[in-house]
Amino acid sequence: MNSRPQSQVPVAALQGALAAEHAAVWVYGLVGAFVPDALSRRLNEAATTHQARRDATQRILIDAGAAPVPPEPGYLTPEPVTDAASALRLTITAETDAAAAWRSVIERSPADADLRGTALEALTDAAVRATRWRATAGASPLTVPFPGAP
Amino acid sequence: MLTVGTALLLAGPAAVTGCSPSARAPTGPDPLESPARRAETDAALAQAVGQNAAQAHPALAATARALAEDRMTHATALRAELRRARPGPASTNALPPAVPAPAAPAAATPDVSAARTGLAQAARAAEDEAAGLVVTLPGYRAALLASVAACCATHAALLS
Repeated sequence: MNSRPQSQVPVAALQGALAAEHAAVWVYGLVGAFVPDALSRRLNEAATTHQARRDATQRILIDAGAAPVPPEPGYLTPEPVTDAASALRLTITAETDAAAAWRSVIERSPADADLRGTALEALTDAAVRATRWRATAGASPLTVPFPGAP
Repeated sequence: MLTVGTALLLAGPAAVTGCSPSARAPTGPDPLESPARRAETDAALAQAVGQNAAQAHPALAATARALAEDRMTHATALRAELRRARPGPASTNALPPAVPAPAAPAAATPDVSAARTGLAQAARAAEDEAAGLVVTLPGYRAALLASVAACCATHAALLS
């Protein structure tokens, strides 16, 4: 557990990534009630992944001497979640937000940092998951050329 | 003799670390050159698959057309960054081909699974190349290549 020098760690960007992971964990907790049981395995896997990223991001921030942002007491969704279609759109939103937050970590990390590898893995994972949810939702297009780009 | 030996000794570490001013001088190929060229090659491959499979395999053709569009967008963005970094006439002709023109025959084959495999392999290779550059490039470029890598991963996922 070697702690990173604080100057090397883009604390604000990591707090953004942590906030996105908190939100994603909340989203996957919510949508389970609205989507068919056949999707529950994928939902659980996504929830587990985001929980692990949330925990790892908290540890990085603590190691850097920063206080990790807590989850919000509640989240405002872009639209009411009332059925499978709106629930799937929310998972796509959560993954898109996570991709953007992790891309920002890459942009603000120093070169050669382990952090860039961690952030790239998180960005890639969010992008692939968003594409898979778009396919499940029948959305089009299924891909975007620059996942995470503003 | 001694002078030559000393010079070599001094040149060695600087070349390895890549931190010396000469390593940053814009003489060698820009590291974005290879991913830009690969994006163009991949776009051409995907476009060919999109055309050849249009009749018999419309689903694969649609995927291939979407891939071609994304990869052309990558090429355009990478070329724009290359021009921004080194304004002036492009020196791309002086470079050896960065990509050993992959899977081009797959586009012409009627075998749909071979075409699909060719596209998937190209996507994985592009992801690997872009991901490798994410660690070393400056922030803006690292983020650009990170998005390219992530996009190519979504392509591979669609083809798997």
